[in-house]
Amino acid sequence: MYQSFIGLEIHIHLAAETKAFCGCKANFGDEENTNVCPVCMGFPGVLPTLNEKAIQMSYVVARALNCKLSPNTKFERKNYFYPDMPKNYQISQFAEPVGRDGYIDIEIGDSIKRVRIHDVHFEEDAGKMIHAGDMSLLDYNRAGYPLLEIVTEPDLVIGEDAEAFLKSFQRLVRYLGVCDGNMEEGSMRCDANVSINPVGVGLGEKVEIKNLNSSRFVRKALNYEIERQSGLMDNGTKIIQETRLWNENRDQTEGMRKKEDANDYRYFPEPDLPPFRPSDEFMKEVEEGICELPLVRKQRLMTSYGLGSDQAEYIHDEKFMADFFEKAVFLGADAVQVYSWLSSDVKKLLNRNSQSLEDSNLSAERLARLISMIEDGQISGKIAKRVLDHIFDEDKDPDVICDEQGLVQISDPAAIAKFVDEVMAANEAVVEAVRGGDQRQMGFLVGQIMKVSGGKAAPAVVQSVLKEKVLG
Amino acid sequence: MSDFEKKWSGVLTQSQTLKAYKNYVDGWEEKIGSFLEFDPNRSLSDEVPEGPLSGIPFGVKDNIAVKNYKLTCGSKMLEHLVSPYTATAVKNLQKAGALVVGKTNLDEFGMGSSTDNSALQKTNNPWDTERVAGGSSGGSAAAVAAGLVPFALGSDTGGSVRQPASFCGVYGLKPTYGVVSRYGLTAYASSLEVIGVLARTTEMCKVVFENMKGKDPMDHTSLDHTPSGKEVKTVGVLKLEEGALSPEVKNSFDTSVERLKKAGYEVIEIELPTLEYVVPAYYTIATAEASANLARYNGIRYGHAPVFAENPTELMRKSRHEGFGDEVKLRVLLGTYVLRSGFQDQYYVKAQKIRTAIRQDVERWYDKCDVLMMPVFPTPAFHHGSSDLDTFQQKQADLYTCTANLVGHPALSVPSTLENGLPVGVQFMAPPFEEDRLFQVSSALEKEFQAPEAPGYHTDWS
Repeated sequence: MYQSFIGLEIHIHLAAETKAFCGCKANFGDEENTNVCPVCMGFPGVLPTLNEKAIQMSYVVARALNCKLSPNTKFERKNYFYPDMPKNYQISQFAEPVGRDGYIDIEIGDSIKRVRIHDVHFEEDAGKMIHAGDMSLLDYNRAGYPLLEIVTEPDLVIGEDAEAFLKSFQRLVRYLGVCDGNMEEGSMRCDANVSINPVGVGLGEKVEIKNLNSSRFVRKALNYEIERQSGLMDNGTKIIQETRLWNENRDQTEGMRKKEDANDYRYFPEPDLPPFRPSDEFMKEVEEGICELPLVRKQRLMTSYGLGSDQAEYIHDEKFMADFFEKAVFLGADAVQVYSWLSSDVKKLLNRNSQSLEDSNLSAERLARLISMIEDGQISGKIAKRVLDHIFDEDKDPDVICDEQGLVQISDPAAIAKFVDEVMAANEAVVEAVRGGDQRQMGFLVGQIMKVSGGKAAPAVVQSVLKEKVLG
Repeated sequence: MSDFEKKWSGVLTQSQTLKAYKNYVDGWEEKIGSFLEFDPNRSLSDEVPEGPLSGIPFGVKDNIAVKNYKLTCGSKMLEHLVSPYTATAVKNLQKAGALVVGKTNLDEFGMGSSTDNSALQKTNNPWDTERVAGGSSGGSAAAVAAGLVPFALGSDTGGSVRQPASFCGVYGLKPTYGVVSRYGLTAYASSLEVIGVLARTTEMCKVVFENMKGKDPMDHTSLDHTPSGKEVKTVGVLKLEEGALSPEVKNSFDTSVERLKKAGYEVIEIELPTLEYVVPAYYTIATAEASANLARYNGIRYGHAPVFAENPTELMRKSRHEGFGDEVKLRVLLGTYVLRSGFQDQYYVKAQKIRTAIRQDVERWYDKCDVLMMPVFPTPAFHHGSSDLDTFQQKQADLYTCTANLVGHPALSVPSTLENGLPVGVQFMAPPFEEDRLFQVSSALEKEFQAPEAPGYHTDWS
């Protein structure tokens, strides 16, 4: 039996407006080589200036990960040549990163696991090189983009753990508002390392895996790699320390470079940037940047609102949704009702419009009002769904929509009696059949009455009026 | 404004004078080759602000960025690069009314003591064209000495302003590290270097320094200048071992000591036992930083690119192989070597420790004296080639100048005497931000000996 040890190195693009060390826009999707200046293009004589906003976000993440925060964080040069790196060194951190020795609790299945964080450090991103036939094209828009690297200890065991970790981490950075966590667009990236050994022996030879563009690939690549290394160990083949690439077309990892070929980064202190010493004011703002973290919130949603684990899981996935939920409940709506609407009809409409809740016309006030209108018997559940549709399309309050569309439920027996009479007159044969004892036809009549009333008649009233008129 | 400054402030604006001035420059340039690019007309289209330097032309060492001027750094690598921006120090001087007239020659990327390491042009000493002007700011020193400009900017990483100033007979100021913004100064050894001034008078040095200094948001290592205003009374003169200096420099040094005494300064003898570690520490740190600073030159975004390359790696390799000169390659290799993993403690980290020890060794004297005095260079200007000093000896001779760079303190090279027709300077060092102490001593000595006029020098263009 082997034991496996998995560690992750996660890079996130910090959601700052400008690059790490110059004033260029940090924007995705702009025309190639337009967000560049002499500084991020590495012209002779330029110097970096530290983006304090981005550094603050770094401290927020480190704080959320329970790290020891550096009172005097330092920058180093990491030297290696690559065409998309303008200076051919990356400004990074080594000796005194923003944070170290932290942890994060994550949910894996039904249990909570504590994963230790080795360090959190700030650095700059490189540009992009695209190979096109016999040419290589370079886009430096991304060069100098503020990047935060989070390095975990090897506390995870299998691919599924890593996938769950990434999901939790992604949710965390979205909650903190420091990154959109989008792995497809590369604003969150992950390298993984894994080693195996017979149980009790401890860490083995570390293999790093790169090119993991989704959390699914992370899981698959790690499980593939554990399998591969176990096979080698079974055969008595020595596992070598190396870097491997995930080939998503073949579902396998492939050797990229051996340890001996690894770069010697020749780290040394960045002479152009003095250490950054956070002021009290800065640290106060860092504290203010910390919100209730996802796992804590999930647990509170369960205990405070009586949501089940799956329900709380759904609601807490996005901070905006959780805030929305709590606000609607605060306004008087029933928690389970709010959950039900959010997880079914609202979700459907969001999908149909490919919108986020945040961007939609539905507010917590509107949903709470909608639910209270049902409870007060003003509208039926069926009408409420139509009202919701109108809210999404027309950006109006439910009361206004009901007024304009005349969607208020009709529960006056006299008014309903008219619909009943009309339907009975048009369906004499059916009425006779019911009177003759065929109770099954009652449903048909109710349906017709609802139709004639435009769905507005209160079904319970319809039932009683009809019963009285038909059966006497 | 002194008469000297007045004379210069009109040179570009009066067409008659401008013509004569250009002829004068052309005449000298045939002999000394101090400018890589000279075009006084380019600045004239700009509006000239009223200021302490209004209308005064100046030269800029070609490793300092001036928009629309080339920024070759004396290298084939950047031979055709035109700067897209202007260095803060230059901008500050332009705001004070000064006008850039050209870019001066230098040792490639500032690496050298002779300007012979320029890949683009040879620069000769105005006092003897068989000899070097010093380096690496040799072009700036030669231009000022020949009267082509009243002042020029240089950069000083290990003596690159002070040594050529001494060789050419002008004043050369290396300010306190950080007091002048490095934004726009092509980095060679970032933690050591600073933009400095070469000028014909102490006063000019001072005015230029006052106008270009200041904390710059573009340079996080820049500092506000906070001088104490202390009056200099005591000068600590370095005790020199027998044979440390050539007889000419020894004589010149002793002459200046006598003049100081005569001017009423108290002179005490000081010792710096760490001096023997200065050069090894300097070259370890400087080359380490250079290896990273010069990594950006890879022929991709700008600069020399090979005619053909099979792939990006080969492109970078060929670009650097073809674009860099031998001295640059040597220093990049050395720097890469001392930063290797497993060797850092032995070299880079140790050099930083030595740097601290040297600082302590220097600073302890400031309790007893207000400024320190030492030689600039052990010899006067040497001949081109390695007949006088080979390149290794040239590095060893940097010990007196490198000290100020390692500790970050200001230092000034002051013309002292003419020895066999060659100028020789002496050097003063002061605590951080105390440039004024240097100017005080320099002004006192200037009363006895002014920047000598090289044969053919004049400022009469009418």
